[in-house]
Amino acid sequence: MALITTWRNLRQRRQAEREFDDEAAFHLEMETEANIARGMSREDARLTALRSFGGVVQARENVRDARALRIESLWLDARYAARALMAQPRFICAAAGMLALAIGISTAMFTIIDALILRPVPFRDPAQLAHIWMGTDRGGRTVVSPAVLNAWRESAAFEAAESAMPGTVLLQAGETVVARESATVTPGIFKMLSNVRALRGRLFDPTDGRPGQTDRVLVSETLWRTVYGSDPAFVGSSITVDGNRLSVVGILPSEFKFPSARTVLWRPTDLAGSADMAKAYVRFAANMARSDALRLATEAARTADGNNAQLRPWVYPLAGLTDTNATQSVRVLAGGVVLVFLVLCANVCGLLLARLTARRREFAMRAALGASRGRLLRQALAESVVLAAAGMAGGAVVAWAFVSVSQQVIPETLLLQTLNPLTLDARAILMTSAFGVVAILVSGLLPAWLGTSVHAGDSLRVVDRGATEAPAARIIGRTLVTIEVALACTLLVGATLLTRSFVKMSQADRGLQTDGITTVWLTLGSKATTDPAARTALARSLDDELRQLPGVRQVAWSYGLPPHGGMLSFGDWISDLPGALPVNLTLERYVVTPELFALYQIPIVRGRGFTSSDTFSNVIISQALASRLWGEGDPVGHSFRFIGETFYVVGVAREIHFPSLDPRADVPEFYHPYTEVSFTPMVSLRCEPGCPDTAVIRHRLAISHPAVRVQAADTVDSKYVAELARPRAAAAVALTFAVFALTATAAGLFSVLSYAVTRRRREFGIRTALGATPRRVRQVVLRDGLIVATTGLALGTLFAITLSGALRSLQYGVTSSDPLSWAIVLAVVAVTTLAASWFPARSAARLDPLVLLREE
Amino acid sequence: MPKTEYLQGALDLLILRTLALGPNHGWGIQQRIRQVSDEALAVSQGSLYPALHRLEAAGLLSSEMSTSENNRKARIYSITAAGRRRLTVETEDWRQFALAIRRLLQEG
Repeated sequence: MALITTWRNLRQRRQAEREFDDEAAFHLEMETEANIARGMSREDARLTALRSFGGVVQARENVRDARALRIESLWLDARYAARALMAQPRFICAAAGMLALAIGISTAMFTIIDALILRPVPFRDPAQLAHIWMGTDRGGRTVVSPAVLNAWRESAAFEAAESAMPGTVLLQAGETVVARESATVTPGIFKMLSNVRALRGRLFDPTDGRPGQTDRVLVSETLWRTVYGSDPAFVGSSITVDGNRLSVVGILPSEFKFPSARTVLWRPTDLAGSADMAKAYVRFAANMARSDALRLATEAARTADGNNAQLRPWVYPLAGLTDTNATQSVRVLAGGVVLVFLVLCANVCGLLLARLTARRREFAMRAALGASRGRLLRQALAESVVLAAAGMAGGAVVAWAFVSVSQQVIPETLLLQTLNPLTLDARAILMTSAFGVVAILVSGLLPAWLGTSVHAGDSLRVVDRGATEAPAARIIGRTLVTIEVALACTLLVGATLLTRSFVKMSQADRGLQTDGITTVWLTLGSKATTDPAARTALARSLDDELRQLPGVRQVAWSYGLPPHGGMLSFGDWISDLPGALPVNLTLERYVVTPELFALYQIPIVRGRGFTSSDTFSNVIISQALASRLWGEGDPVGHSFRFIGETFYVVGVAREIHFPSLDPRADVPEFYHPYTEVSFTPMVSLRCEPGCPDTAVIRHRLAISHPAVRVQAADTVDSKYVAELARPRAAAAVALTFAVFALTATAAGLFSVLSYAVTRRRREFGIRTALGATPRRVRQVVLRDGLIVATTGLALGTLFAITLSGALRSLQYGVTSSDPLSWAIVLAVVAVTTLAASWFPARSAARLDPLVLLREE
Repeated sequence: MPKTEYLQGALDLLILRTLALGPNHGWGIQQRIRQVSDEALAVSQGSLYPALHRLEAAGLLSSEMSTSENNRKARIYSITAAGRRRLTVETEDWRQFALAIRRLLQEG
């Protein structure tokens, strides 16, 4: 109430005054009438009333003071602060710019963490949503039958239970064919997720997906824009999906990502087909404990479908970062942001400090005129608030820019972990304001406190003769820059280590050739699967078809795909050497045709390659396995055992490597000959100059062999690129942070030293007059800079050593004590601080004592 | 009648006490204080109106423009819940203060 009144007064001061005039007039009239009643003449009555009232204007002033004291003076403070800041546009640009950068970076980082970790599922009440598999305690997870899904729908455990089965579809638009991820969903799924709206058209009706109504499709905005050219009459038209004509009922906004971040097309199903299975997504009932709900769900599943007798439901979140390595990298980068934020705030703090100490005379004067300490503090803080407001506005823009860039830069492996569209939303804006408030407190409080600690008497004395700096400001200014150097140094160490890791990883020896190789993973149709001879025939016909593709030079068949897609075997391996001890190893096993070695250019370094007479137990082993089992000796002609099986070594192949942050990803391997075509064979194609697009390959096979399904098609390079994406992004972000921090630190050092030089003009003038050479004066200033830099470096080294543990899991091929990294950090910090000190030092050396003396 | 000066707190108390009896306009409050105190306490308009507006800004009073008993436009003040709470506290304070003064005077 009081606030509203005050606000009204502020906004409508004139009206308030008019109202008071009415009030005063009413009072006078009443008084006059009372006087008349006492027997005075009308004229006398009025005059007496006026006299007793006192001056109307004065009364009005008093009333105004009484009403609007607080806020109005705050407003005055803010206006004064804005005017004072505007008088120095360079200062406000520097300070507000740094605040904007600090706030913007933090907000952008928050948005990313929010999307990946805090709120990866952007639907109503995400904690109640889950993805459920059935499975045993030993592992093994399976989808459920439609009967189970129906039982769950009836169950009190769930508010809703729906299915979404992912898949890949071939889309034909005009002449082009593209492969995209799709999902076959039960129509109720959108209602279950809630807050899903179609951009155009409608969502699925409950009847969609029933027999005769399956030819409906929902399409993502992304797909509509990229493949169908934003056709305005798209809803209601037909598109070709896997060779069928389907009619588009609606377009979903690009922000809607479900069940995977890449899904761009949805088809309805009623799960009534004989072979249909359900991939269950549920919304738990809000009022039931999770353990009770799961008990009910287990019972329902077992009653509905006997296959579930030994199984129980396993609950998974819809999305979110679960991989510890990725979580760690996000954490490290968030820590980096905090450091950058602190460096920038320290810098703004230094700027404000210099500015406020330079205005001590003004504050002393105001104190002498009766301003209290609190009043002065408020005035000083008002400037920080105005600055922070400008910083927040700029910060929102910076954050928007960073988020837009990061959408391109963040590795897909991370982006795929979230269903959140990664945009600046209301939460992010809220955080911007929160960061702004923190920024004012961190950067504005100390300068305001120090700047206003003045004695009223100072204004009368001749202070500010500028002989030296104020000691407190001097110490604090230096301390701030020292801390900045330390933080920047810490960031630089992290950035250098991450960059070196990335470079090492991208240059690491792969042991095989990856250029121009595309791999295709097939599932043979049901007819062929039972009969090996039929499978061989089918494989031959597929082989012919693939060789017809433009550019294909070599084709090799295998089960398991190099470099990182073999069957993993973990256990004890024993060589045939007398007295050999079992060696505990994880190995990758590939079943390959002889051409595979030539195709990937993996040389056989000892022994021979496969021939058609080789049996499954004749193997080619990798160099690493050879040395683990036989040391320096030649393994060709020897054998080794693994859980009752014996393998005979016919050759040794060069080791292949899969550089990864996860050391478990790169293990030794051995090869079996491809004696029988498997149910799900893999084909490697080497093409010159490059292989056709995977969609073309899929399309070609869909036409020639409709029963064969393409599970996956990809280039070999993309596997390495995907593995490199994360270190590259981490290095890029860390480097950006380090550059910001270093630049800010250099600017901070520069401004502190320049300020010191202007304060010490007289001192330098006297020194020069007494015979100090310019060189000597320059050294005095440079020494100041050097002291700050070395102290900062020492502190930063300590910080970096303390924090390097956090980086360990993100490093590849470098240790935290990597000499080259440290040398780079030292050199960069030394050069930066020298450069920042050089200009103030030069201007000090150029001071002319005569000019200075005349100034007095 | 000589003009009596008193502490600001006392004026606030008088206004709150008067309004606790019912809403009133400035002139009415002034007249009421004068009558009840048997002409001993006179409030000048110069102190009354700022005090009213200050109390309103503090949320102890509320006001609205309306018509008075003789059909004129007037600002009518009434006491808020917060004002009543304040009145209770201040009354007690004042009573203790008055008691202390009386004891002091009796001793002398």
